[in-house]
Amino acid sequence: MSSEPIRNLVLFAACLLVPLGMVVSSERAAASRLAEAGDAASEVPIASAAEEGYCSVQLKQILRRVAGACGLLGEGGRGCKPADAKNVASMSGDDFNALFSPLASRAHIVQFDAEQTALDPKATAEVEQVWAEKGGASFFFVVSRASKDGGADYNTELSQQRAQAVMGHLQSKFPEDDDLKRVGLLWLGADYAQLGENFCEWKRSRTGEPCTAKDINRSSFMAWIDCAI
Amino acid sequence: MSTPLSFHDERPSNRDEPYVYGTANRRDSGGGGGGSGAMKVALIVVALASLAGLVFSMTSSGDFIEHLDRQVHSIHCSLLPGAKAEVGESGCRTVMMSPYSSVMRTSMWGGIPIALLSVATFAYLIMRSLGMLLSKTTTRKETLFLIAATGLPSVMSIIFGSIAMNKLGAACTMCIGIYVSSAIASIAAIIAHVTAGPSDGSSSIGLWARWFGEGCVYVFTLVFFYVIFAPTSPKSAEGCGTLVQKEDPAGIFITMSKGAGVPGLAVLDPLCPACKGFDERIRTSGIDQRVALQTVLFPLDSTCNWMVKESLHPGACAVSEAMLCDKDGALEVLDWAFANQERLRTTAKTDEAAVRKEIETKFPKVKGCLGSAPIKNKVNKSLRFAVANALPLLTPQLFIGDRRVCDEDTDLGLEFTVEKMLAAQPAAAPSGRRR
Repeated sequence: MSSEPIRNLVLFAACLLVPLGMVVSSERAAASRLAEAGDAASEVPIASAAEEGYCSVQLKQILRRVAGACGLLGEGGRGCKPADAKNVASMSGDDFNALFSPLASRAHIVQFDAEQTALDPKATAEVEQVWAEKGGASFFFVVSRASKDGGADYNTELSQQRAQAVMGHLQSKFPEDDDLKRVGLLWLGADYAQLGENFCEWKRSRTGEPCTAKDINRSSFMAWIDCAI
Repeated sequence: MSTPLSFHDERPSNRDEPYVYGTANRRDSGGGGGGSGAMKVALIVVALASLAGLVFSMTSSGDFIEHLDRQVHSIHCSLLPGAKAEVGESGCRTVMMSPYSSVMRTSMWGGIPIALLSVATFAYLIMRSLGMLLSKTTTRKETLFLIAATGLPSVMSIIFGSIAMNKLGAACTMCIGIYVSSAIASIAAIIAHVTAGPSDGSSSIGLWARWFGEGCVYVFTLVFFYVIFAPTSPKSAEGCGTLVQKEDPAGIFITMSKGAGVPGLAVLDPLCPACKGFDERIRTSGIDQRVALQTVLFPLDSTCNWMVKESLHPGACAVSEAMLCDKDGALEVLDWAFANQERLRTTAKTDEAAVRKEIETKFPKVKGCLGSAPIKNKVNKSLRFAVANALPLLTPQLFIGDRRVCDEDTDLGLEFTVEKMLAAQPAAAPSGRRR
């Protein structure tokens, strides 16, 4: 028998089997890796709300109480109920204010005229600006105050109306925004956690104008809080 | 007449006389052999060019097969032997991930790579050219077949080369190696034919049919075993999670394709390179015509996205704002952003305002809207959509109906996975065209 047919057969088989073997072995290796990877958990992080380092237990406790009072937690209807600020915070006024000091870059303060509750143009611009800086925050906190002028009840009433003025503007400017459900209001009157003059250095609607302790307390303090509550 | 393809012809002038290569001037002495020197050299060149083509094809097939494990791998993108594979974006990756890199992509995950067919062809050409080289008698009857056989990869090279240039705008280095190998093999086959002796006058049909059949055996054997051993995963059809929040009360979805097909949602970052490739795959595969596709923006840019501490794609927030400012023209903005991704990212890294200015110049409609509180709020809503649905922090992502296509299925396995998922959806009318 001639050797040429055998040689051709060997050549035919060799040229076919070599790449075939490589293809099949590569596929089996891929199948093996696929089986191993199937059991491994994904290491890709999941999108989540912001949770910054300043979100202490005490801060979260206050936020939860305010959120609860405003009907933001549970099935309750929307609308903050007056609450004793000291019960909400359960701490001294200075300690309360200290909780918010890490928010210097996030917070804005809108100022009011004495005995007034209406937002001036600078204040409305400030409210809109802070609203646009949501980031991953879960909660928008509005803390209103009054100066020590006048009686306690009057100041409580005044600070409540200042908080409501901020809320009212947000509702009129962003009526469709479901993030309005994230707004918590707290009014402190003039009895508790008065702001010191150092807060005049924070972002405020009347930057450049004279600022005394009385001026800075005729205000609403607003900030998106980057804490998951 | 002398032409570049003129060769010294030692064959007898009487063409009717059967001629056996390598026997010229030696026939009286009864010598035998495998052919003239020129033809042998040409056949060796065919064999070597085919070997080179086989190496390139195997490398390309190997890269493709490696991805069958649904993971991210490097891709060989250098003609230099032993050069390291590359992980990042490259023309090689663009070509491999394109729908043109394989066939039957809706029938099996990834489809059958064209490179595998190329492996079969070049392996066959090696066998055939070596067979002729070792044969005692090689006539034009045989070499004519070799011209046809080497012509196949050459024609395919022209077709796929023009697709790469015109449709993908990217070149694959391994493919270029295959093109060049094919061309050399073809030229060498022609030279072998010109220098080969005349056939003995017997019919060529039987021989050609047998050889053609052998070529088919090569192709079918490789394809058969490839299909048999291709890894499968039930996850492809099941998907990886579902949308919890499907509604769009904030108006953040942007329509990618109009029509009444099965609803789909793509999560994109306009400056993410993978999203650019994904968008191309969606379009070239026709998925955008079968799915009523919308997109939600997920810019991985720390300017607006608190979930990334360092911007992966600087400038993506600005582009996202522009898209949401003019939703009717959003796809134009997206195409522009895809086309200028690298430059925009580089500029935004040091001067985001410059990118915003460029966007306003290019798309005057967004002037006054870009950077405003309401539009920043909308981008924020897009990001919060990702939070509400607990989406992984990556792009692109695709939902068919409310089922999420697994990340590993958004490239090579996209068509197969979408086909499976669409089959699982209630019947819907075909959708209209994008744009």
